[in-house]
Amino acid sequence: MTVAAHPQQQVAGAPATSGRRVAGALLRDRAAVLSTAYLTLIVLMALGAPLISAIIGHGPNDFDTAAVNTDLGGIPHGSLGGISAGHPLGVEPQNGRDILARIAYGARVSLLIAAAATALTTLLGVVLGMLAGFYQGWVDQVICRVMDFLMAFPALIFMIAILSSLPQGNRSVLLVVVISVFGWPYLARVVRGQTMTLVNREFVEAARASGASTGALVFKEILPNLRSSLIVMTTLAVPGYVGTEAGLSFLGVGVAPPTPSWGQMIASSVGWYAVDPMYFAVPGLFLFLTVLSLTVLGDRLRAAFDAGEAS
Amino acid sequence: MARYLAGRLAGVVLILFLVCLFTFVIFFTLSPDPAVMICGKTCTPDRIDQIRDVLGLNQPFLTQFTGFLGGIFAGRDYGHGANLVHCAAPCLGYSFQTNQSVMDMVVERLPVSATVAIGAAVLWLLFGILAGLLSAVKEGTWWDRTAMGLALGGSSIPNYVLALALQYVLVVRLQVLPFPQAVAFGDDPVVWFQSYLMPWIVLATGYACLYARLTRANVIDTLAENFMRTARSKGLSPALTMRRHALRPALTPIATIFGMDFAALLGGALITETVFGLNGVGKMAADSIAKNDQPVIMAVTLLAAFFVVIGNVVVDLVYTRLDPRVRITAR
Amino acid sequence: MSDLLVVEDLTVTFPTTRGPVEVVKGVSFTVGRDETVGIVGESGSGKSMTSLAIMGLLPKGARTRGSVRLDGTELLGRPERELRRLRGDQLSMIFQDPLSSLNPYYTVGLQIEEMYRAHRDKSRRNARQVAVEALAQVGLPEPERRVDHYPHQFSGGQRQRVMIAMALVCGPKLLIADEPTTALDVTVQAQILRLLADLRRESGTGMVFITHDLAVISSIATRVLVLRRGEQVEYGTAEQVFAEPRHDYTRMLLDSIPRIDDEVSA
Repeated sequence: MTVAAHPQQQVAGAPATSGRRVAGALLRDRAAVLSTAYLTLIVLMALGAPLISAIIGHGPNDFDTAAVNTDLGGIPHGSLGGISAGHPLGVEPQNGRDILARIAYGARVSLLIAAAATALTTLLGVVLGMLAGFYQGWVDQVICRVMDFLMAFPALIFMIAILSSLPQGNRSVLLVVVISVFGWPYLARVVRGQTMTLVNREFVEAARASGASTGALVFKEILPNLRSSLIVMTTLAVPGYVGTEAGLSFLGVGVAPPTPSWGQMIASSVGWYAVDPMYFAVPGLFLFLTVLSLTVLGDRLRAAFDAGEAS
Repeated sequence: MARYLAGRLAGVVLILFLVCLFTFVIFFTLSPDPAVMICGKTCTPDRIDQIRDVLGLNQPFLTQFTGFLGGIFAGRDYGHGANLVHCAAPCLGYSFQTNQSVMDMVVERLPVSATVAIGAAVLWLLFGILAGLLSAVKEGTWWDRTAMGLALGGSSIPNYVLALALQYVLVVRLQVLPFPQAVAFGDDPVVWFQSYLMPWIVLATGYACLYARLTRANVIDTLAENFMRTARSKGLSPALTMRRHALRPALTPIATIFGMDFAALLGGALITETVFGLNGVGKMAADSIAKNDQPVIMAVTLLAAFFVVIGNVVVDLVYTRLDPRVRITAR
Repeated sequence: MSDLLVVEDLTVTFPTTRGPVEVVKGVSFTVGRDETVGIVGESGSGKSMTSLAIMGLLPKGARTRGSVRLDGTELLGRPERELRRLRGDQLSMIFQDPLSSLNPYYTVGLQIEEMYRAHRDKSRRNARQVAVEALAQVGLPEPERRVDHYPHQFSGGQRQRVMIAMALVCGPKLLIADEPTTALDVTVQAQILRLLADLRRESGTGMVFITHDLAVISSIATRVLVLRRGEQVEYGTAEQVFAEPRHDYTRMLLDSIPRIDDEVSA
């Protein structure tokens, strides 16, 4: 451009590749940076759980009766839920298990289940949503009916009912499957709608007219255009699944004890909240901050992508 | 209109039937034998057979399923001879745990869940929409950023964490509220109110934060619409421009979401009711699941699905009244 | 008799992150009573900003300099309360896209009535009668029935007729039409143009007609103002501008319309 640009174009600034532009926007946002930092910390903590255990000298299931006052019904020694050099985040009442070690190992369970559920949901949602949007007709009809049915289902009650009636087995895998079965329609609905509009756009029609195969159409033309909404939707889905896993564990149908999980830790603290508030405050705070960070990040990602589309 | 309604109701019945079938299949194939559970520790094979016979558990799947469905519409008999018990329609069977009629249990507990849902809905609509409106009008200001930050935080607190935190602060520490008790409104309105206050707040917080963000986004989008510019060009007062031209388009989608959220809550607020020990449908669901009380689980699942699908139909009907562009067309 | 609208050295400035940007740079023109003045320019030429500045409807943060006088009354810098009383009553506006410019939630009758009731008669029954008459005046068939219809139940051309009926319901002195035919089909465009020209002549309203299309201007305006990037590059009678354009930009705009010389000179 040789002439002075129109004011709106001047404001928008030099064009950048969308990935770099979004990353730049996030780096300038204090809330997004803080959230990313916190999440990195949690992931590192989950990965390094055995290391943490080794350093503080307590495994997640090691009893430490010396840390609790058996005369007072097992309340931890000390004022803040038994915080001490040996137990940086205190201990559980009664059996004295180290809370930091349990939080770290619990993070593994929570994050792994949430990540796996997100992956499975995304896979189901993208495949079924694209099938419905791409082929339309009866394929669309069938998939839409199934989605209607699943969304009309009282998911939480049903998840609990299924999980409680299933044999113990591998609870983590069951949780992932059950969460995903009820979760995919929400993503698929969006993918279906976007695929439908994309299929009718000129560039897809052009590709189709020039003889591109269905596979090429889907992977080269449609999928790349769904990328930004997929990133946003999955980022916003993760906190939901972290919360669902914790909720199910809280209700006693999640991962089986003694494997620690944040929801389960909060559930077992219910009877103690009056005398040992730190017992629920610590896992509660970790859970809250994780959900919040993921939500903030998803929110800011969406804003960054939207700003990119508008310019 | 009549054809549309008939079509929608047929859809409702179909979905409820599928929910029934699905739930039944899961229990029939996966669950441990309820007869063994009912029988308890001092049990003989004869006794188990007897229980199975009375409950019809030794019959094939289809017979059991049609028996259950028949009970809902026509009532059914359990056992025979001297042990015969008639359960009048709509019959949802008897609890394995208490032998109480499941229908009676539902009728007894539904008002509690409704009270929880209605109180929470009033709170979250009031605060959510008000905060969202203010934020939209004062977009970009200190108030907007604080309110939306809080809303983001508030919607990230799992409600059981909030419930425990509130109980600790209000009941244990500050002692401004008593521990929730099961008191009827007529017996002691003050204690009744105090008992429901925390459940209402806990349930309303997440929704209020969500609605505040939705309201803000919708109002901001509406204010940017061309018809708002037209309204200003007509010289209408700012109050009329806002009330008539901005609010109705901005709040109509929220009415839809509210209908669905509220309907889902009528089926029981599982976690909130459990944490506060409120004897609603949600707590009944949690208890029945913990004790594998199948007739009760079936009932609460069906009830929740019933509210969701009926809520869906009601929302669609109301929407045609709220948005003139939406026309009813028979499928 | 003095001119109806006098715009002198109008400048509109927007604050941006890179400092203030002038989107309208010293524009001056007049509109006589019973006259149509055309403003022509490409998108971003400042023509819409000029019209919004006259209406006092510029987006927040915009600053204006110069003078805009309607019937001798200065409009720039007037308190919003007084401007509101003039808007819709003394001067009104028609926008480009009639579908999005009408509120989808209310009947067209209500949207016409509320304007009349804001400035003239508060009673609902009179206002309704006025709305029906206004719809009849713009050539909408069955106005008694159509008055209770919603915008989505009209065709594009009919919607623009509704907008015109609404804009004229209080009998304004000045009508600003911002690309009123751009969103319409070609045949409908001609009908709407004729309707606007006829109604304007009957009511003796002054009109500012904004378009990017010089061909449209030739059939409706007596004087033409050409804007380019906020600057006034040409101003004169339609004959002058079309016969001997003084600026290259105008020549370029003229060249871009399919030549139908007979019609232009007629």
